[in-house]
Amino acid sequence: MAGVQVGKRIIGADAPVTVGWENTGRVEGGPVKQFVFTYFQPVMLFAAIAFWYYAPNWLAVASTAIAIRLGWTVLLLALEWVNPRYNSWQLTWKEFATDLFYVALGMTFLRMVDAYIGDGAIIEAVQGAFDWKKFDWFTGLPLLVQAVLISMIFDFGQYWMHRAMHNWHPLWLTHAPHHYITQLNVQKGAVGNPVELFLIGLGIGGFFDFLPRAFLLAGAIGMTVGVYQHINVRFNTPRWWRFIFNTTEHHSVHHSQDYEATRSNYSGTWIIWDRIFGTCVDGEAEQLGMEGGRRMDIGETMVFPFREGWRDTKAWFAKRLRGGSGGAMQPALEPAE
Amino acid sequence: MTGTAGTLEAPRRAVTGLKLPLIDNIWRVRGEVPIDPGMPAAEAFARIDPLLRIPGTDVSEEGGVLTYTKRNPQAQDKLATFTRGRMWIEQAGAGAVLRFDLFSHALLLCFLAPLLFLGFSQLAITIKAWEAADTEAGAKAEKKDEKKPPAAKTLNPVDEFLGAPAPEDPSKKKKDKKKDAKDKEGRHSPDEGYVLAGIFAAVYLFGRRLEPFLVRRRLRAALAGPPPA
Repeated sequence: MAGVQVGKRIIGADAPVTVGWENTGRVEGGPVKQFVFTYFQPVMLFAAIAFWYYAPNWLAVASTAIAIRLGWTVLLLALEWVNPRYNSWQLTWKEFATDLFYVALGMTFLRMVDAYIGDGAIIEAVQGAFDWKKFDWFTGLPLLVQAVLISMIFDFGQYWMHRAMHNWHPLWLTHAPHHYITQLNVQKGAVGNPVELFLIGLGIGGFFDFLPRAFLLAGAIGMTVGVYQHINVRFNTPRWWRFIFNTTEHHSVHHSQDYEATRSNYSGTWIIWDRIFGTCVDGEAEQLGMEGGRRMDIGETMVFPFREGWRDTKAWFAKRLRGGSGGAMQPALEPAE
Repeated sequence: MTGTAGTLEAPRRAVTGLKLPLIDNIWRVRGEVPIDPGMPAAEAFARIDPLLRIPGTDVSEEGGVLTYTKRNPQAQDKLATFTRGRMWIEQAGAGAVLRFDLFSHALLLCFLAPLLFLGFSQLAITIKAWEAADTEAGAKAEKKDEKKPPAAKTLNPVDEFLGAPAPEDPSKKKKDKKKDAKDKEGRHSPDEGYVLAGIFAAVYLFGRRLEPFLVRRRLRAALAGPPPA
């Protein structure tokens, strides 16, 4: 496979990746379907912003956000059914039940662990150590500016954490199970080893004292933009949207079976971070996963980083003790750098 | 393939040596699909062969019984939910049927999943009780350095002009303390576990009905399809 040169890299040499927007798929169907799947994403973003901007205080609370999120997930699952991007990514009962298990694990066990060692605990400690009052002027900014700042600062942290996961072997071992997904569906973002889910959940947006409503607005941006990373819906995404925001197209490139392509599009919501730091590849891919598309089951996902970490550590020690010849340091996976 | 028809008289269990008359309906699916009485067993098996001849699936045929096992099948494998199975042809009255007896790890694990999440709920209750005891002990010490309520925040003039509701004044909140204490305790709520246990029970019941239906439909389609080349 020849691949396509993007900057200094060749994308699509190992597995098919469509590079550029010229040849990506379009919505097929009548004018109503075309209309709905062209304007769905921006309309939902602006509707969510308008709701959280104007909702009275009694309604603008976290429990409302949870209820909306649930309804939103059901709606997106319906869209996957109506207008799938690829039939080869169709959600089956088994895939749905498996994805739900990871979501549920995040809502129960991980949340319990997070209460002690998560970003909330870290932020509390840092806030206690410094006088953050000098940042009070943040709360005087217009709400939308605060919301965009929260969202971008959080995503900036995620970008570098994600990029680090693809560049440092110990972190890669935690992230690798997520790259064994072979299709994108609404809940696939939750699939992965709990250690990785914990690490990627660490945010730096919470240090500053924003207004609560700004946080809800930032959450609305994440819910109506970042959610499309993992989804099997064909949209005619507007040009301005795909320039600023991450899309399914971008994220499918990131998950493709092509090694170089996986080293791109690290951001969660703002693809503009990838553009700034030179890691953006516009395009899309259908064949996803690792090892030629081997599916990783729940059991292996849970033990993978520890099993591979143990093997690699043993190999490293063996190599050191035998003066560099024995126990070839041969990780089962190609580290991402 | 020999084409010899098997019979139901001989016990045909997916797990040999295990005899669980009713409870195994949780993870086992048995059923039948009618076939053309004139169709030889070899041809019937050949027609369903494309459903089984895929990477990660081992298929064998002995004494007129087709047996398969799958190792972590692909997401789009049409029989992904059923990791082991047996199929054979039987005469039924004037006609014939293809009978199947399938085993599903996925259904079994989904059936057990509510137990795991009920367990997490119990864990949350335990931690909550443990933390409450800890908080009571520390409550007296904290009383001395009670914080002043934070000053009320004001909206940016742009937001005022656009009509966004003003933030609440923290000093006007009466039940702040109670709410704070409740919130703190609420971080280990058993509710999520209960809800998820219920959702998994519903997902199991749905899957137990849907997956056998899909197997029947796929087998029927394969048997009605064009004869193998």
